[in-house]
Amino acid sequence: TSAEDSNELADGKLYPEHVLPTPPIIEANSLVVVFESFDNLNFVYATPGAIFSNRNGHFAHNDFIGKPFGCKIRSCNNRGLGFLYLLRPTPELWARSLNHRTQIVHELDASTIVFYLHLRPNMVVCESGTGSGAMSHAILRTIAPKGRLHTFEFNQMRAERAREEFAKNKCDHLVTVHHRDVCGKVDDGTKGGFGLGPQAAHAIFLDLPEPWLAVPHAAYALKANGRLASYSPCVEQTQRTIIAMRKAGFHSFRTIEVRLREHFVDEVELELPPKAKLPRGEATSGATAASTVRFLSTCASTVSGGSTMVEHSGDDTGAEADNELTEAETAETEATEAIGAGTTTSDGGTGTSPGASSNGKRKRMVCARPFATMRGHTAFLTFCTVGNKLHPNPNEQSPSNQIS
Amino acid sequence: MADNTTNTNTETPHEANVVNQEQTTTETESEQADVSSTPGDNNDENGDATTTTNEEEEDLPDPLLAQPASYVREGDHVLLIFADGRQIFAHCVKSWKGKTAPVKINKRTYTTANLVGLPYGTVLELGRGGLVPLPEGEDVLPDPSAVLNPLEDDVDTDENTLSPAPPVNKKAPSIEQVNDNRNLVDNNTSQKIQADDVQTLRSAGMEGSAIVSAMIENSSTFQNKTDFSKAKYIVRKQMKYQPRCRMVRCTASSVCAGMYLKDPRKLMNLREDTLAQMLSYSNVSAGCQVLVVETCLGIVTGALAQRLGGYGKILSVYSGQQPSYSEMINKFNLSFPEHHSIKWVHSGEVFSDDNGRVTPPTTNEHGVKDLEKMEREMLKWPCHLQDHTRAYLGKMSTLRDQKEFLAKRCARFARKLTRHTPTEARDWLKRPCDSVIIAARYDPTATLLPLLPYLAPSCPFVVFCEFLEPLTECFRELQRQSLAINLRLSDTWMREYQVLPGRTHPSMTMSQNGGFLLTGIKLCPVTGKNELDEKLLKELRAQVGGRRGRKPKQRNGNGESGTKNGRGKKKKGGSSGAPNAKRTRVNGS
Repeated sequence: TSAEDSNELADGKLYPEHVLPTPPIIEANSLVVVFESFDNLNFVYATPGAIFSNRNGHFAHNDFIGKPFGCKIRSCNNRGLGFLYLLRPTPELWARSLNHRTQIVHELDASTIVFYLHLRPNMVVCESGTGSGAMSHAILRTIAPKGRLHTFEFNQMRAERAREEFAKNKCDHLVTVHHRDVCGKVDDGTKGGFGLGPQAAHAIFLDLPEPWLAVPHAAYALKANGRLASYSPCVEQTQRTIIAMRKAGFHSFRTIEVRLREHFVDEVELELPPKAKLPRGEATSGATAASTVRFLSTCASTVSGGSTMVEHSGDDTGAEADNELTEAETAETEATEAIGAGTTTSDGGTGTSPGASSNGKRKRMVCARPFATMRGHTAFLTFCTVGNKLHPNPNEQSPSNQIS
Repeated sequence: MADNTTNTNTETPHEANVVNQEQTTTETESEQADVSSTPGDNNDENGDATTTTNEEEEDLPDPLLAQPASYVREGDHVLLIFADGRQIFAHCVKSWKGKTAPVKINKRTYTTANLVGLPYGTVLELGRGGLVPLPEGEDVLPDPSAVLNPLEDDVDTDENTLSPAPPVNKKAPSIEQVNDNRNLVDNNTSQKIQADDVQTLRSAGMEGSAIVSAMIENSSTFQNKTDFSKAKYIVRKQMKYQPRCRMVRCTASSVCAGMYLKDPRKLMNLREDTLAQMLSYSNVSAGCQVLVVETCLGIVTGALAQRLGGYGKILSVYSGQQPSYSEMINKFNLSFPEHHSIKWVHSGEVFSDDNGRVTPPTTNEHGVKDLEKMEREMLKWPCHLQDHTRAYLGKMSTLRDQKEFLAKRCARFARKLTRHTPTEARDWLKRPCDSVIIAARYDPTATLLPLLPYLAPSCPFVVFCEFLEPLTECFRELQRQSLAINLRLSDTWMREYQVLPGRTHPSMTMSQNGGFLLTGIKLCPVTGKNELDEKLLKELRAQVGGRRGRKPKQRNGNGESGTKNGRGKKKKGGSSGAPNAKRTRVNGS
């Protein structure tokens, strides 16, 4: 559908649909996310002739080009034993595959911030500091196609890297990287602030060690009913920031903390408790089970040998899954030997083979088990709305009025 | 053809009959542009610029660049947030008919006409005369120093201290308190003013703040309270006798939060942070085509419409005769392009068993035409008024009634001109979607698997479910069939904090049920499997030695099977997991 239908108002198509084509095939120099395992992501720009190497093997970029996104590529050495998946980049995958130059905003926090800042297409947003640019990409996705992100980084090298990355990812029509300190602590002649004039931005995101210094500048730079978000790991920082926000006339405060709980998914067969009584005077039969949970297959059924490809729930258990499948076979043979040899077996003994699920009392279930630790970077997120009045430019106030 | 709109205007059938005639006469009479029929004047009032006048306008501003207004327009929905945490939706209209009141607080109806034109963020006080807007600088909790005598000299008299903090010396916000409650006797006799007295005071016309002052004066224990306790007391009285609320714009976050407070079961416990994740992880952005299946009253669709900003398409699946989520979607105050980007698709189109076997007839193929589309394309706007319509218009008494009628007619035409046909919907489904979002009370596995073919490869999908177990089955199924990668089953823990000097702590109540999410990325069905030949695999395994360089086990039960050397770095997820089980099993042979 073309955008040039706007003259044909008498037509049924009052507004063109604006659906963009998404090329499904990997082309030369396109950004590709390389998925080795759930915890191991990388990205490459598909360059003809280049080789990507990891512990699974060597992979030729020429194999990537021309394939569709979402394919599985085999290694070019070792007769194709190793493999990896090629995925279309999204800001979340980018953040996980990125070289961290600073601590990044976890994708859960990023999604919460974008949501509570009420971001939508064509907005003007300010962000300080840029850091590794992970949060910037999440914002850029939301304000496309005609919005603008002004991102401020006071470290020269990081600002340069960020500019290069945005250009390489073809987002530079949406973003301007400023090498500037919005808190005004460095004497670079700017006295802090965003340098955009009054009421320039719809939303501002602060990821700074001392956000209270930037709050009056934010009040000046926000449009009517604009939103401000601040991301601080420490409660003391949050307290000082909110005091500054109150003083600057912000309202509708919310301070939240969000953490992600991820779950493994396992198919388990829970055994019955052992019923066998102690044979008088003899040692315990080795066949009684000490544990009652047996993992039949920890959801890594597509694992092929030789590679470290593990599925999500297979994080650690995936590594064992290989053993599971082979050990299940050994257990089976051992068990049949045991039974055949007439050694003690009890009803609920572990020596039984996997085929014993014919015992109707066992329940085979698909269960979820939370990860041991919650991933992500913990921080307090504070959101507020700017008050409906004229805010003075802090840079134009006399020093006595400026906050300490 | 019958007009399918649900417009309650009784003129609808009549209008429908004349539409056909208008179509044929449009060509000849289009030159006679009837001034009274142009809807241009009604645009501003309705807030939706549906069409423009007949003359060429080259400099139309791109409507997709417009951001939502920062003040309330006629017909907007707003959310009123009270100090005690209540959130009530209000519809700001100058006049209302019918049974839905614009706003109902404490079971009483209030008018909202005076709210139109106010900026968002205005604080309103609930007085006897209705909702009274307060000047800028007032907070939802009034400044207690108006009620209390300042106890310290350096009370912060800055108008912008919008905190109900007790008037404590700000230079030393200490937690040590002068008073505490060791001598308190709690026998309910400390307040001299009784409930009936309050009524008397109120009917005598006493203001809310005056009532609060009176209560404080007549409380025998007030002076002995700790500072923080005094502040809490004042806040409680203010919330009761001086109820104030702040008018907030309806966005995805405020609507979801408001509905979650009101009735979480209707939303299937979709908490707002879960909705936030759904919007981000599905990678939706301007220009996407998203397929949504939801039974959350339309909140997901509305949030997507705001997030896409009028660009792209949202194919939202409905069942039954017609989509029923208009009530919630209206609350989002969607602009016309945003509303238009929502395309309703019947569930039979995507879930029915004969999909893929039956090629749907498209226009001009096999001689079957899209009749509805042809009808629609014959409509022209501005549409000339018919004689009987003009006569009916003439019978109306006031100019305002006439304008209303014409506005409704204009809206009706807009709907007819922009409604898509089922055939068009099928055409759209042929283009693979960029994202699939499911938030329905149906079985997740049975909902997701039939929709995966509509999703482009390497694109994300998000499945929300109130319960964990159905998602575990879905997870299993996706893994078993190698349909997706990067699978993650998660829920979130969200905690709110009250941050005040000396009183920062987590909120007293915390929601612990926000629903569960399963996200993943679809693999290309053709090239995503790419397995090695079985024999080759066994051969290579034998050579390379299994994972991490370990040799495969010997079958005679020798020691190697129990050892874990060469295991390398192993991330332990569960504690009493598989390793123990294996060891005992092996040793028991």
